[in-house]
Amino acid sequence: MPEGVPQNAAYLTAAYIVAAALLLGYAVSLYLRIRRLR
Amino acid sequence: MKLARFGLALTGLSFGLLAAVYVRALAFTPVERFQGPAQKIFYIHVPAAVWTELAMVLVGLAGIFYLFLKDPRLDRFAEASAEVGAAFGTVVLTTGPIWGKPVWGTWWTWDARLTLTLLLFLVLVGYLILRGAVADPGMRARYSAVLGICGLVLVPFVHLSVYLFRTLHPQPIVLKPSAPSLPGEMLVTLLFSFGVFTLLYVGLVTQRVALARLREERAGLTETGGAPHA
Repeated sequence: MPEGVPQNAAYLTAAYIVAAALLLGYAVSLYLRIRRLR
Repeated sequence: MKLARFGLALTGLSFGLLAAVYVRALAFTPVERFQGPAQKIFYIHVPAAVWTELAMVLVGLAGIFYLFLKDPRLDRFAEASAEVGAAFGTVVLTTGPIWGKPVWGTWWTWDARLTLTLLLFLVLVGYLILRGAVADPGMRARYSAVLGICGLVLVPFVHLSVYLFRTLHPQPIVLKPSAPSLPGEMLVTLLFSFGVFTLLYVGLVTQRVALARLREERAGLTETGGAPHA
């Protein structure tokens, strides 16, 4: 990475993990709710 | 059920493509010089924010049409759109502060854009709570249609808040009257991510509509003492 660029990759990693977990969690909850009603 | 399977397939495909967005953003998109790697949060945050607003717009429009047509499919769609909008809103309200901390030096500030986005999220959550609180289906659909229309009115204020008020939040760089002010590679990643979020929205809403239909079928069964209703 070029000099002078802020070193804040940990925030990027955290945001991507949180976003994926939230979206996956919601998708799984939908799948389980549908399966329970079938 | 065909609709649920179609929604599931679309959602699965969207998650595969979301992984591709992550790879493209992390490995093939340049790092912004002043904000550093944290700027790449933007590729998830912005499409999620746009789809939260669009989901609310669609809830409101479905509400308007429901009040005229009384078609239960519109009510089912509005409910599905609100739930998916609330899920996307959660992504917006968590990724935003994670970006804000390294770039602004604070997780949260009560400026116009952030506060109105929180309000939009609370309207979506309130919409879902209202639906859960009213037992009569007709009354539930009417009340929630009215709340959906109130949410629809809020959306332009959320989007234009960066022009209407003094705010810390960056101004739109793509959804604005002039040409996008973003380098080509970054713009491609953002548009790719936006396409994936669109597909994800469609997949999740399709599944949620299928769930609502299954619930109605089940409720019909119990109301008629176990016999399938016509």
